[in-house]
Amino acid sequence: MQVDRDPQRVAAVRPPRRDQWQKLTLAARRDGTVTGLKVELLADMGAYLGLVTPGVPILGAFMYNAIYKFPAYHFTCTNVFTNKTWTDAYRGAGRPEATFAIERLMDELAAELGRDPLEVREQNWITHEEFPFTSVCGLEYDSGNYEAATARAKELFGYDELRAEQARRRESGDRVQLGIGVSTFTEMCGLAPSRVLGSLDYGAGGWESASVRMLPSGKVEVVTGASAHGQGHETAWSQIVADQLGVPFEDVEVLHGDTQVSPRGLDTYGSRSLVVGGQAVVQAAQRVVEKAKPLAAHLLEANVDDLEFSSGRFRVRGAGDDQEGIGLTDLALKVFTAHDLPDGMEPTLDADATFDPENFSFPHGTHLCAMEVDTETGQSRMRSYVSVDDVGNVVNPLIVDGQIHGGLVQGIAQALWEEAVYDDQGTLVSGSFVDYTLPTSADTISFVTDRTVSPATTNDLGAKGVGEAGAIASTPAVVNAVVDAVRPMGIHDIQMPCTPERVWRAIEDSRQGGSTPTEDSAQPHFTQDAPNQDDPGPDGPAGGTAYPQEGGRA
Amino acid sequence: MIPAPFDYAAPATVEEALALLAEHGDEAKVLAGGQSLLPVLRMRLNAPGMVVDISRIEGLKGITDERDSIRIGAGATYQDVLDSDLVTEHLGLLRSAVKEIADPQIRHRGTVCGALVHADPAGDVGAPVLALEGRMVVQGPDGEREVPASEFFVDLFETAVGEGELLTAVVLPKHTGWGSHYEKFVRVSHQWAIIGVAATVRAEGGTIAEARVGLTNMGATPLRASEVEQALVGLPATEEAVAQVCARAGEGTDPPSDLNGQADYRRHLAGVLTRRAVLTAAGA
Repeated sequence: MQVDRDPQRVAAVRPPRRDQWQKLTLAARRDGTVTGLKVELLADMGAYLGLVTPGVPILGAFMYNAIYKFPAYHFTCTNVFTNKTWTDAYRGAGRPEATFAIERLMDELAAELGRDPLEVREQNWITHEEFPFTSVCGLEYDSGNYEAATARAKELFGYDELRAEQARRRESGDRVQLGIGVSTFTEMCGLAPSRVLGSLDYGAGGWESASVRMLPSGKVEVVTGASAHGQGHETAWSQIVADQLGVPFEDVEVLHGDTQVSPRGLDTYGSRSLVVGGQAVVQAAQRVVEKAKPLAAHLLEANVDDLEFSSGRFRVRGAGDDQEGIGLTDLALKVFTAHDLPDGMEPTLDADATFDPENFSFPHGTHLCAMEVDTETGQSRMRSYVSVDDVGNVVNPLIVDGQIHGGLVQGIAQALWEEAVYDDQGTLVSGSFVDYTLPTSADTISFVTDRTVSPATTNDLGAKGVGEAGAIASTPAVVNAVVDAVRPMGIHDIQMPCTPERVWRAIEDSRQGGSTPTEDSAQPHFTQDAPNQDDPGPDGPAGGTAYPQEGGRA
Repeated sequence: MIPAPFDYAAPATVEEALALLAEHGDEAKVLAGGQSLLPVLRMRLNAPGMVVDISRIEGLKGITDERDSIRIGAGATYQDVLDSDLVTEHLGLLRSAVKEIADPQIRHRGTVCGALVHADPAGDVGAPVLALEGRMVVQGPDGEREVPASEFFVDLFETAVGEGELLTAVVLPKHTGWGSHYEKFVRVSHQWAIIGVAATVRAEGGTIAEARVGLTNMGATPLRASEVEQALVGLPATEEAVAQVCARAGEGTDPPSDLNGQADYRRHLAGVLTRRAVLTAAGA
């Protein structure tokens, strides 16, 4: 069986935008087992190349197979210049596009088979016993537990109850239909192993640096290259150092954001700060302890090998609990005065570390969304949203929740509201926040968020990264829910953002027996033949409907 | 985002304001709450030489009882309307529409009369004022005149207020005991109405005795769905009874087509939302 999807044009913001035409062909057996995936992209670069403009579809290339055991995978991409604003890395950078496509497609596969979308996913995903698992793209997924995240999400969502309500509304022909959308996403984070970037001709490495300085006052300065602009690194890095060195949290100062202070670093992006930059902080802190150890041994008149370090103090192993030992902060002053150091010891405890990850990290999660669709007006309203994310070990739960909530709104906005609309001349016509329909808190609901934990194996923290998860996972969950609500009307797709008018037109077209779920005006970017189209079929390529429109065909 | 330079005056009386308008002619613009004028100035869509701020004219403030009508002065903000017991008791439709305007900050600044004279077809107060058969009090060099709402809205951003004139108040006949509802259709909360339907209904024992229906953003000016109003009289306030009549609310209108909806979609919405607004107003 082959399921074809019509193209998804993904547009979000200026600048940067997401803008790709995606043609996906999924092969599966009638029992639901996926056997192959073919991805053909037409990616709009805009008028110029930004920092990583062509890198966005390349990063996405690794993610279309997602959490599923595709034995075969083919990816091609044609990048085109247009006279629009350039595209560039925008929260997720390639992974939201890939995740949207595959998660929409898995829902369509389930619909084609008449089965529950979670069940079809489970049939195809990597089970937790199978980790580490090498994906069809050659990435080694080190850890994960899709079963656990999905079970928790279903429970919090009340999945079975909502399915029952959906059936009742369908049965009674309720004016407001209920749709349930699923997104069991993963992403590759912790960017990035420098060797991998080199193999992709990327212009930089993927390491991150940190310095930890013991001040004579006992306070600690941390310099990080992963410069935050509001993500709370100052808090999380202080927590890490407080844990590693046993100093009070408030005695740690994190310095960043000024090349006079922190000249080395590759910054914050790609959910890398904690996974790569945080690990550099851990290693620098560990080096401080190692440097302090000979001095502690000297002052305690003990052998270095007999010392143990915990809660900020060196003690002689086996010498009893009542021994005072010596504190790291005391050693900081001793080293500063340098009056009594071991022979040959350099008078400093400061340490640097640069961490280059050997592998990516792979956060994942199960997001479930319920949308109520007013079939008279096309208006969609979110009823509930549950996200259960596995971002590995968490340093600061509040910061993680904040990242998830913000990401969810961003991804939901892409599904329902925000769109960079250009006219035929390439002029942006949604150029104000009113026309762009930027949502505010008044337009969103309270999300239910929870976590499962399968720690990353590639850094000491066990962290996987969280900056992009919400934005990557939520878009397909919402569109899947909107489509699910109107699926009994014969509708297989609605162009995002799923505006009331688009939903209404899909319903109207379906009532009139047609099946043109995506109107031409929704695709102003490409009115000519799609150049990566090797098999246009009898009707295409032309206009905005270059690809087969059927949700599936056997 | 910085306006072109302009002179500013804050007169204390209507007479002083009119004198300034006479003196500066088409170089003058009137400022009340500033929620429409200031964005216009900041985006330099207009660059008047003189801004006449009427917000300090005591005589224009207030919402007063005039026996059969309520008078809303040009200085009354949306929040004043929401806070007014007179409006709550006698002009439920206006209250229902004003509640839907923008956000609290804007409602504390913007004025009903300012919005009326700005005459943005997507503004929320035009349709209810039209449906409630308001009378506009316009003062000019030659004295005061009253313009019925049906003759007030001339075209896009154009009203019967002439050069050198000032809208000093809107007088709205009391609709005591009428049920009201303003149905505003938006995609995000801070948007202008894609369309809006203002409906107020006097029901007697489950039957519609009288109905008034105004439409927002269904043309260059607020519209009144008079045929729908007449056809509703005598119908039971039930969905089955009114659905067909209300579905025709958008007929013959020429709404705009833009990113939020093509004209045919807006006409469709007008029908659906009129039914909902009428039924809600009738307490059905």
